[in-house]
Amino acid sequence: MKRVLASHLDRGLSWLIRGRDRRASHVLLAPATVWLAVFLVLPLAWLIALSFIRSGPYGSFIWSFNLQNYARALDAKYLPVVLRTLAYAGAATGLCLLLGFPLAYFISFYAGRWKDRLLILLMIPFWTSSLVAIYCWMIILGQEGLLNSLLMTLRLIDEPLNLLNTPFAVILGLAYFYLPFMVLPLYGSLEKIPRNYLEASYDLGAGAFRTFFKVTLPLSLPGVVAGCILTFVPCLGDFLTASFLGGPDSYLLGNLIENQFLMGQDWPFGAALTALLLVCMAGGMALYRRLEAQESWQR
Amino acid sequence: MRGRGLAAYSLGLYGFIYLPLAVMIAFSFNDARRNVAWKGFTGRWYSSLFHNVELLGALATTLELAAIAAAIATVLGLLSSYAMTRHASFRGRSLYGSLFLVPLMLPEIVIGVSLLSFFVRSRIPLNFWSLAFAHAMIALPYTTNSIRARLLSLKDGRLEEAAMDLGASDWQAFYKITLPLAWPAIFGGALLAFTVSFEDFVTSFFIAGIGIVTMPIKVYSMMKFGVTPEINALGCCLVLATVLLLAAHHFLTGEEESGRI
Repeated sequence: MKRVLASHLDRGLSWLIRGRDRRASHVLLAPATVWLAVFLVLPLAWLIALSFIRSGPYGSFIWSFNLQNYARALDAKYLPVVLRTLAYAGAATGLCLLLGFPLAYFISFYAGRWKDRLLILLMIPFWTSSLVAIYCWMIILGQEGLLNSLLMTLRLIDEPLNLLNTPFAVILGLAYFYLPFMVLPLYGSLEKIPRNYLEASYDLGAGAFRTFFKVTLPLSLPGVVAGCILTFVPCLGDFLTASFLGGPDSYLLGNLIENQFLMGQDWPFGAALTALLLVCMAGGMALYRRLEAQESWQR
Repeated sequence: MRGRGLAAYSLGLYGFIYLPLAVMIAFSFNDARRNVAWKGFTGRWYSSLFHNVELLGALATTLELAAIAAAIATVLGLLSSYAMTRHASFRGRSLYGSLFLVPLMLPEIVIGVSLLSFFVRSRIPLNFWSLAFAHAMIALPYTTNSIRARLLSLKDGRLEEAAMDLGASDWQAFYKITLPLAWPAIFGGALLAFTVSFEDFVTSFFIAGIGIVTMPIKVYSMMKFGVTPEINALGCCLVLATVLLLAAHHFLTGEEESGRI
């Protein structure tokens, strides 16, 4: 009896493993698909549906299709928040590019056998909770923080500077945390440049400077674009950095969304703001795909 | 010459990246309430952590959550990556291939608020289990990627063929050959999933019901009251845990972590 059962079990499992039957593939894929459907696709679909619903009093919903929530995101009260978010995310992305490009260049061209180790070192702060990274900057930038007390001891300033709760702190915090998102794609595209292109450029008489601007930089552009998208989009949705490092005047889109869901109780409006974020993400990815396709066509 | 300048710059940038962490670690051993000047070495902030019942409770919750999420994500990741790498092409494979990466690309806040509104709408209670299931979803791309890469690198399948020539069934070949070979990647993926859940703040912040306090949520509520030496010590513990988990993953899979954000 037991042996018969075992052989049946073996046959069933072998059918799954072999996968000549398409149904076996579907059985193996089903659990993960259901999981993603329930915890990812349906919630996103519901959120988008919610963004077209009108909110009634006391957090109730009025079921009628309209675009009012989207219009509200662009009215005079909230437009500054949206614009500020774009500006801060843009500034942080620019800062990351400025800081990250030389590093990616160094790792790709000069680091040799240290490459892997340097990349891992870059990733560790990202893997620790973003809360910890933000907290570290609170220690340094605070009124009684390390930087202020250092400057006071050196008698460079008489009164503590207001560093925390400023746009500067928010942009610094964003750039700090999202730096790996910039460096990794840059590194990836620099790695792909065939080294003999550079040799050819040198052989033809171009100097280091000219080779960099005429060969290396243009060839690394896909990485630049990818890095900018990967940095810019998460910066748009960040709410922790601004809520700890920013002041009342550096309230960002992420904070606005957080408030709609956790305090303001205007979920449809919050959903519309989140949907705008999704549109930005989808736009960025479409842009990247197109660039990638163009690049592979050129080669 | 140019290389040396760049090296100096890169060193400086790594200094900038690690300086904040170094400051926190240094002050976590400082015998003063304020993070300004060095007053002498102490371990009392750490010992006060280990006597904080609330914090130990949060640690237990976080560990249970991460273990359950990692287990689910690993099983789902193993099944799906096996079908994606070893089975003949079938309808829906490429669609799934892009779907499972979506949680990785979405800004965290989008996942948090969409789960919150969906759970409330469909009357799914916001409790420990719904949070664990959501964490499993977030961790799924990490386990799938890790296992898929390993299965692809073993793809030629000659060992399995040899086993089957010698009379093993497909299942026996899988169980005795493929699974042991893929084991480091399975375990490594599980560790990544564990880390993702352990460090997650944003999703938990939105959907953890009342009374569910994970470690990052606890850190968040402590941070609301400003900078304290207790948070320094706690932050150091979190960093240490992350470094250990990543080191274990690196040791197991022997691949660098850089390629996947």
